[in-house]
Amino acid sequence: MARRARAGRAALYLALIAISLVMIVPFVWMLLTSVKTPGDIAAVPPRLLPTHWAFGNYVDALRAAPFATYARNSFVIAASHTLLNVVIASMAGYALARLRFRGSSLIFLGFVGALMIPTYTKILPEFLIVRFMPLFGGNDILGQGGTGWLDTWWALIIPGAVSPFSVFLFRQFYLDLPVELEEAARLDGLGEFGIYARIMTPLVKPAFITVALLTFEGSWNNFLWPLLVTKSDSLRVIQVGLSVFRTENDTQWAFLMAGTTLATVPMVVLFLIGQRYFVQGFANAGIK
Amino acid sequence: MEYTRRSVLTALGLGAVAAATGCSASSGGNSQAAADGPVEGEITLLTPLFEGSSGKQLLEGKLLPAFQQKNPKVTVKVDYTNYSALNEKLTTSLAGGLMPDVVMLGVGWIPPFAHKKVLAPLPDDLAKRYEYEDRVLEPSRFDGKLYALPMVLDTRIVTYRKDMFAEAGIKAPPKDWAELRAMSKELARADSSGKLTRVGFDPFSIDLRQCWETFLFANDGNLFDESGQQVKFDDDRGVEALQLLLDVIKDKSADYSFKSSAGQPSTLQQGRAAMMMANNSLWVQLQQQTPELLKDDKVGAFILANKVPAMLQGGTMVSRSASTKHPAAAQALVEFMGTPESILPTAQQRGSVPGVQNLRTSEYVKENGFVKLALDNMSKARSEGGTAAWMEIREKVKTTLETAVVGQKSAKEAIDDLANLSKEAISRL
Repeated sequence: MARRARAGRAALYLALIAISLVMIVPFVWMLLTSVKTPGDIAAVPPRLLPTHWAFGNYVDALRAAPFATYARNSFVIAASHTLLNVVIASMAGYALARLRFRGSSLIFLGFVGALMIPTYTKILPEFLIVRFMPLFGGNDILGQGGTGWLDTWWALIIPGAVSPFSVFLFRQFYLDLPVELEEAARLDGLGEFGIYARIMTPLVKPAFITVALLTFEGSWNNFLWPLLVTKSDSLRVIQVGLSVFRTENDTQWAFLMAGTTLATVPMVVLFLIGQRYFVQGFANAGIK
Repeated sequence: MEYTRRSVLTALGLGAVAAATGCSASSGGNSQAAADGPVEGEITLLTPLFEGSSGKQLLEGKLLPAFQQKNPKVTVKVDYTNYSALNEKLTTSLAGGLMPDVVMLGVGWIPPFAHKKVLAPLPDDLAKRYEYEDRVLEPSRFDGKLYALPMVLDTRIVTYRKDMFAEAGIKAPPKDWAELRAMSKELARADSSGKLTRVGFDPFSIDLRQCWETFLFANDGNLFDESGQQVKFDDDRGVEALQLLLDVIKDKSADYSFKSSAGQPSTLQQGRAAMMMANNSLWVQLQQQTPELLKDDKVGAFILANKVPAMLQGGTMVSRSASTKHPAAAQALVEFMGTPESILPTAQQRGSVPGVQNLRTSEYVKENGFVKLALDNMSKARSEGGTAAWMEIREKVKTTLETAVVGQKSAKEAIDDLANLSKEAISRL
């Protein structure tokens, strides 16, 4: 019996190692490509290791564009989205899960419905809302005459601040908490906000970590929206910045991979820090 | 039907653009603003041509300072994008009523945007300023008016390995498709299990839309009639052009899986293809990645031919917005970008073909074999587009033709499907 269990565990480990390798190979390839010369990249058959380690690719890539500015912008946007999303979506999720009010089911259905709208169908309406935002960017009260939120931080932060998926996820977590806790707190004289903030929220930490990581990752990797709503280089983000290495007729693979490696580092670090909660978050959400 | 980011945005954008242009027409907007008045003001330039790091250096370090020296009262704010997001940038800008003052567009893009009255016609004199091939100016015109000036061109030619030709005893490139097919068979190699190790011909490493169009033009076919209202590619010439691509697969002298991705060493460089459809910019890639192939004179190129010789001409043109508040400044920038002084370094940084014939004698053209071949054969160049519905149609060409290449449909069925959706798009104009 013990032998069978050991064999089963060995098979499991082998399978996990194989899957891990499949997952990690693209990252290893990216790292190795980032320190190859153009000749090594074009080698036939392809070589795994570079014949000459071109670490200077990182310096050259950083010199090619103002990546410090791009990284700062990406960080500000991703951090703002994360903060706004966990605060507002958790409140919305809590309200939908724990408060009884007329129309709550309908509102929840609205959030579920919003999950089904493809992102790209929303881009143009969102762009028009941003463009015609009243009293911003020279616009009058009717949203005419100026450029609204275009080419400003508002356009980069507000439209992507709260996602229906996060509201949905938080609701599922808050639903699972025992009603006794809430009643005991209420008997002790705690108000609704106190129950949300001091009693219930500390119990759904995995949801917060999951939403925070997903939001940060999605925001950090966003390319199209920041490209559409900005013109100034000073407001462009790292994913748009990376496109300087890929033009219609030429791709500077070594620089692109060096830049991508640097752009990936914050996400990898964040995941390593929060992976336990992240997995727990999805496991909990999945069993609802 | 496949929904892509672009098709969704294009569909949404068409309605919004129609609304935006409709509003401006009804309100008596300056949709055909004349380029008079003082050459001054801040103007915006939307460009997919200088998006790379060297492109930015060229534009901001050399071209714009030269422009501003001549026009000190004009400041230019540049909005960089790439071709994959250009349509989205334009669509959203138009819908929001904030069209850039000067915009760079691709071949085939002028009729759709001129039809919507978002581009201003340019003085016809500009077409005679330099030596242009008629074919080069064709995509800049709509409804008899000039709307853009050509900057750089990118042609689709057939490249081949001279060493593989010599090894097979082939003395000259194919003169028609029968020869192309026979040579492809002769040049293909397979291992003992019958698996292809080298294709005789790789037509799939360029965009399938552009590849089929090159074959269509070489078969003396057309995409649309002169008015842009009638589909012309659904005759035998269009079907034969697609069928040829299926035939070389059937012959086991081509394979769809052999195509190389953008930026990757091409199948020709890897020695996995003896002939390959290519963009002329492949020359720069050869210089960077496999210079020994050029040094040893192992790579050649020719113009695809069947009933007629033809090469597809893509490229970038510069145009002025009809709604600019600074028409004189915008036109000055368009004119400046269309000069040989701007065109030559722009072509050089991308490995493209300069849009004016005057530059044939430049060192750059002399030293770039593919660019020289293209410029020597500009009379055989043909452009895609030609209808105001092109932006909607072009997104669907590749996916529709692919159904035949992967064996889901016959060449005739795929072409009929494409013709039907093109007719629908044109009927909505």
